[in-house]
Amino acid sequence: MSNSTFNSPEFNKRLARRHAAERRFKLIGLGAIVISLAFLALLLFIMMRNGLGGLNWDFLSGSDSTDPHVAGIWGAAKGSILTMLVTLLLSFPMGVLAAIYLEEFAPRSRWIELVEVSINNLAAVPSIIFGLLGLAVFINTLGMPRSSPLVGGLTLALMTMPVIVISGRNAIKAVPPSIRDAALAVGASKVQAVFHHVLPLALPGILTGTIIGMARALGETAPLLMIGMRAFIVTPPDGITAPSSVLPMQIFLWSDEIDKAFVQNTSAAIIVLLVFLLVMNGLAIYLRNKFEVRW
Amino acid sequence: MNETKLIARNVDVFYGPKKAIDNVSIDIDNGIVTAFIGPSGCGKSTFLRSLNRMNDTIAGARVTGEILLDGENIYAPTMDPVALRARVGMVFQKPNPFPKSIYENIAYGPRIHGLANSKAEMDAVIESSLTKAGLWDEVKDRLTDAGTALSGGQQQRLCIARAIAVSPEVILMDEPCSALDPIATAKIEELIDELKENYAIVIVTHSMQQAARVSQRTAFFHLGNLVEYGETSEIFTNPREEKTKDYITGRYG
Repeated sequence: MSNSTFNSPEFNKRLARRHAAERRFKLIGLGAIVISLAFLALLLFIMMRNGLGGLNWDFLSGSDSTDPHVAGIWGAAKGSILTMLVTLLLSFPMGVLAAIYLEEFAPRSRWIELVEVSINNLAAVPSIIFGLLGLAVFINTLGMPRSSPLVGGLTLALMTMPVIVISGRNAIKAVPPSIRDAALAVGASKVQAVFHHVLPLALPGILTGTIIGMARALGETAPLLMIGMRAFIVTPPDGITAPSSVLPMQIFLWSDEIDKAFVQNTSAAIIVLLVFLLVMNGLAIYLRNKFEVRW
Repeated sequence: MNETKLIARNVDVFYGPKKAIDNVSIDIDNGIVTAFIGPSGCGKSTFLRSLNRMNDTIAGARVTGEILLDGENIYAPTMDPVALRARVGMVFQKPNPFPKSIYENIAYGPRIHGLANSKAEMDAVIESSLTKAGLWDEVKDRLTDAGTALSGGQQQRLCIARAIAVSPEVILMDEPCSALDPIATAKIEELIDELKENYAIVIVTHSMQQAARVSQRTAFFHLGNLVEYGETSEIFTNPREEKTKDYITGRYG
């Protein structure tokens, strides 16, 4: 009985169709990957062709100039580094503490639900709005120096923090409750259970989210336009309050120049920015593997 | 010396509006093993967790009535649940060692309570805890190995050693063998039998055979009520209540 069912022409036809569907899916999936990677390859190829010639020590160590052959990237790169430092130092501790509080300590209430919704919304707010907020609060109200990595970093920290909170909460949620039980049952306080056991286990996930948020902040241009970081800066900033530019802003400014020679500078700057991103992502993977606990 | 260690009087436990334990009163003695048995969802684990206030961690859980440890109400405002849990330890259903070394698993409790003042003292605590848990000979040469790399039965004995390390007076065990094979189970039962000399032990179990083997007293729970409580031998051979009889003869479960 069963033999005849599984040998019938009907069954074999269905089986062949099922296998064909599987082959089709694999092909389509592969196609999707090839197309997206092809664009990345094309971007890299164009950037390399246009920009590699301009990548030399003078370019890497110089600052902006009206003369494309003198103009360099270090001023903007240093601005980016300082801005990112301010962003990281603010958004990481704040984001992690907020995530811990919301996930482990906050009582379930309407009020907390509102906070959660707000944070999720904050992560989706267009970045230019954060730029306006930074302009209004940090520069106009608090009187911080315009165009500075301090204000840029603060503004980007506002943007990055919700990303860290969300990824942090997910990482904390993924730690099995049995670990908390174990710590509490030997008489650890709630704070001890969280900081001694939950947080170390959640750290790889939190770090991954942090680096993703930081990488996004590194590429942001719009909010920094609003706070004046598009100034023409001929000397690298010597501190977080000095006027400064950042890498994506420099790319934006150069791409707007009329002089053809700036095309090479733009491409070279893009290569530098991509290397920055690559280093940050590499760091994320390294840190994740280093802190990951297997059990 | 069978003095009473824990006294529960008219205890109700609620999860939100739902009453999970209804008016339970029970005395638990030192130096013996007390087993809680009953069908799934009867509240035996809930009641166990109220004995060291682990229910505090569950949102919406509420306990009324009195639970006295050496005459002191553990739900009184003056009772610190952190200090209480150092005195009333717990072993869980699924072995849950910290993802750290064997040594660190046991050292954690004594360290946060300041029970060992030097490396030598800590080493002594580790050795005696592992010895009491019957694990020392198996792991003494690899104390720095991950606790999670041990077998299931060894992990559970590690968890027992971890509980012992803070010198509790009572050890609560929530179905400690349900994730273990029969050989590992036999070892844990042997261990429970040895440990009862020095602690009041309360064990929740699904297995009536296990209750019969390891306990001296048995409490039968059904639908949040304590139906019958008495000497284990009495409960299993001559239960007073019809419900108990039906349960232990396997009519329902």
